[in-house]
Amino acid sequence: MSETKKTTCRGCHENCGVIVTIENGKVKKIEGDPNHPKNEGFVCPKGISYKDQIDHTQRIKYPMKRVGERGEGEWERITWNEALDTIANELQKVKEKYGAESIAFGHGDYRGTAKTVWQYFFTALGTPNSFHTDGHYCYQPVQMSDIATYGSFITSETGPDYENSDCIFLWGGNPVMSHPTRAKDIMKGIKKGAQLLVVDPRLTEIASKADLWLQVRPSTDGALALAILNVIINDELYDKEFVEDWCYGFDKLKERVQKFPPKKASEITWVPKEKIIKAARMYSKADPASLHIRQGLQLNVNNVQSIRALSCLLAITGNFDIKGGNIVTSFPEGYKGIRNFRNKYTKGQLLPREVQEKRLGAKEFPLFSGPDGITNRDCFPRYAVDAMITEEPYPIKACVAVNDPITGFEDSKRLKEGLLNLDFFAVSEFYLTPTAELADIVLPAATWLEKDELVENFYHNMVGRRQKCVQIEECKDETEMIYELADRMDIDLPWNSVDEFSNYFLEDMDIDFEELKEMGIIKGDMEYKKYEKEGFNTPTGKVELYSTLYEDYGYDPLPDFEEPPKSPFSEPEVAKDYPYIMISGGRHIAYYHGQGRQVDLLRELCPDPLMEINPKTAEENNIDEGDWVFVKTPDMEDHVEFKAHLTKGIDPRVIHVQSHWWFPEEEDPEHGCWKSNINAIIPSDPPYSEFTGSPQIRGCLCDIEKKVE
Amino acid sequence: MKKKAIMIENDLCYGCYTCYVACKQEHELGKGLSFINVVEIEHTEGDNKVRKEFAPMKCKHCGDAPCIEACPVDAITKRSDGIVLIDNDICIKCKNCIDACPFGAIQFSEEIIQKCDNCIDRIDQGLEPACVHHCPTDALKFGHTDELVKSKLERAAEKLLNPKYLEVVE
Repeated sequence: MSETKKTTCRGCHENCGVIVTIENGKVKKIEGDPNHPKNEGFVCPKGISYKDQIDHTQRIKYPMKRVGERGEGEWERITWNEALDTIANELQKVKEKYGAESIAFGHGDYRGTAKTVWQYFFTALGTPNSFHTDGHYCYQPVQMSDIATYGSFITSETGPDYENSDCIFLWGGNPVMSHPTRAKDIMKGIKKGAQLLVVDPRLTEIASKADLWLQVRPSTDGALALAILNVIINDELYDKEFVEDWCYGFDKLKERVQKFPPKKASEITWVPKEKIIKAARMYSKADPASLHIRQGLQLNVNNVQSIRALSCLLAITGNFDIKGGNIVTSFPEGYKGIRNFRNKYTKGQLLPREVQEKRLGAKEFPLFSGPDGITNRDCFPRYAVDAMITEEPYPIKACVAVNDPITGFEDSKRLKEGLLNLDFFAVSEFYLTPTAELADIVLPAATWLEKDELVENFYHNMVGRRQKCVQIEECKDETEMIYELADRMDIDLPWNSVDEFSNYFLEDMDIDFEELKEMGIIKGDMEYKKYEKEGFNTPTGKVELYSTLYEDYGYDPLPDFEEPPKSPFSEPEVAKDYPYIMISGGRHIAYYHGQGRQVDLLRELCPDPLMEINPKTAEENNIDEGDWVFVKTPDMEDHVEFKAHLTKGIDPRVIHVQSHWWFPEEEDPEHGCWKSNINAIIPSDPPYSEFTGSPQIRGCLCDIEKKVE
Repeated sequence: MKKKAIMIENDLCYGCYTCYVACKQEHELGKGLSFINVVEIEHTEGDNKVRKEFAPMKCKHCGDAPCIEACPVDAITKRSDGIVLIDNDICIKCKNCIDACPFGAIQFSEEIIQKCDNCIDRIDQGLEPACVHHCPTDALKFGHTDELVKSKLERAAEKLLNPKYLEVVE
């Protein structure tokens, strides 16, 4: 018996339409749906190989409890009732003994609608501590800048309209590997004649297609961005009408950028002056031009002000919410929007202000964690780890996690210490990750092939659906787990089933979830220049080049650049022993964060953790292609190892290593998670970004040494 | 029968390896084997200038296929639509075809001679080959040869006439 079913992939953030062939209750084949407007027939290796992810021998297929000491890796199968009763009882115990704020919800790997339902559940339980282990350095720094500047969020992959653009400016990202359908759209733009500008320390796959590649010194992007603004403003290449009508603080910005003439920026960033000027002219003269900011700028102490320079760049060139520029996407008419709902309720408005003020980080990072925060209002994760270890300012005693921060969060050995110190730790996962191995209870989460779900397309104004294709043993949709937990704990949720949840968001569109499943996708109309009707959602109602919000909070209201705290120039003494600049986390298409390394089809594409190193540097260190190389950082005792790949696409002074490495095939409970996990040697101590708390994770100093077998 | 072929445009490939994996899924191939491979080449000019290029490599289903000539037992034949096929029941595994192929497109794996069959099962149903279906950039295209050549010609003309290539930014 063979049938096909259309659904939406969730192998990463992209949500591609796929056609799944099912034979005798098993997934036989996964192909891209040619009629899906987002991916148009394409689906990347992660999606294709998901058939091997779901019934893999290592998959968690039943609820389990630990039988040895915590972290020993000894497990026993239990019933769903026992698992959920235990979690409900343990959370209740902690709440009664220490208060609800001593319970943290750990997340980071965006799990579709479950994220919202989990957050609603924990908010209703009374804790303000949503422990988002990558929020301070991923996505939220860009939100922090964009929202202060425009009141909306458009410079990450949600905004750029590549296909209709004459110039695509891609800064610090490699969507070929990280956001494959967006890379596809960039190529569409290029085929129509768009120029491509790429800023990256590495000659990435997308940089290989660039008309102009600016090989920036890691962590100096802010200086480069300010110099580009300097050229555009001083040469009067900006959109005078838009600046006049819609921008606040242009004169002050003009004064600020005088600090960064191209010559000076060239010395700071290692990008030749001519290329800075050329980039400024290419972007500003193209009409329209799109801008895409990604991780390269975010994992740093100077993250938000560097991004602010780019938010301003987009505005003064008149590329805000226009066709071919960057678009403020909106959902189809009547659709309520899960994101809108989350912004309204689960960010904490369900909680009294005094409870929100208790959120860890609320005082130190008010726009990030405070009751009036402008991003997701998560707690600052390092403070949550502190509260697990030191119990200050109050203890965190229980945590439910739905991600793998042992591979994804900086200073991960300290995190392990914190997690082991908890009274209770539960993890909902697909595999026994190094984090799940530390839990008391592990819940078998259903993947996208095993559930019905409402889908919001991140980058387009589309609503779609997932359809259940198979049932794998006792795996369960996370939202169902939550409804059952809520029932046990007498917590009132607005919905009690997938259908109720979905219909709640669809009800004003006069269709229900069953009808949407048939239709597949509903696409909204594209509307541009919405600000002409609505203005900008900022204190002045204009684009705030000079941020009055930042001014109120005591931050610099104008973009600026500061030399990062860990660099050969700020720490010349340290640099004598640690002479290289290290960047990490460039993606491979085979893997989504820590996921996928069990699957042969994917592992074949990237079997080992890779280091990119210039042949000159390799020679100086007696390193050949394929050699294993130790990496050490100044502040940490441990070292980690990577396999050398020699390329002239990286500066001889810079080393790049991959992130999130663990080895599922290696012995439990650690699965080799300290061998090549770069986060094990990245400290989480201050200094921090004053906005989001990001420490300097990229561009820090390191030394390398060939491993002698 | 009007012949259909796969055209490869290297300048559109950015090395996402999706064709490699799609081919493996379609033909249920084991570890290390796919009938299409992506080769990444780094070119350097002087000390500072570096370029990276990608080339998807597969069987070309040559008009005058050297592998057919080289096969001593006539195990390799050409279908009426031009697709070159190996009959493993006849094949004696002498590997002359591997020596003869100028593209390295024929492999000896799992004890048999294997290569791309342009997904005949799919194209006979009116579908595109799996690699073409999944290519995100149209670096791989499937169609009648004259149409493919025309599309390439048009893209080249567009490129020539695009102001981007005419106007040098000062």
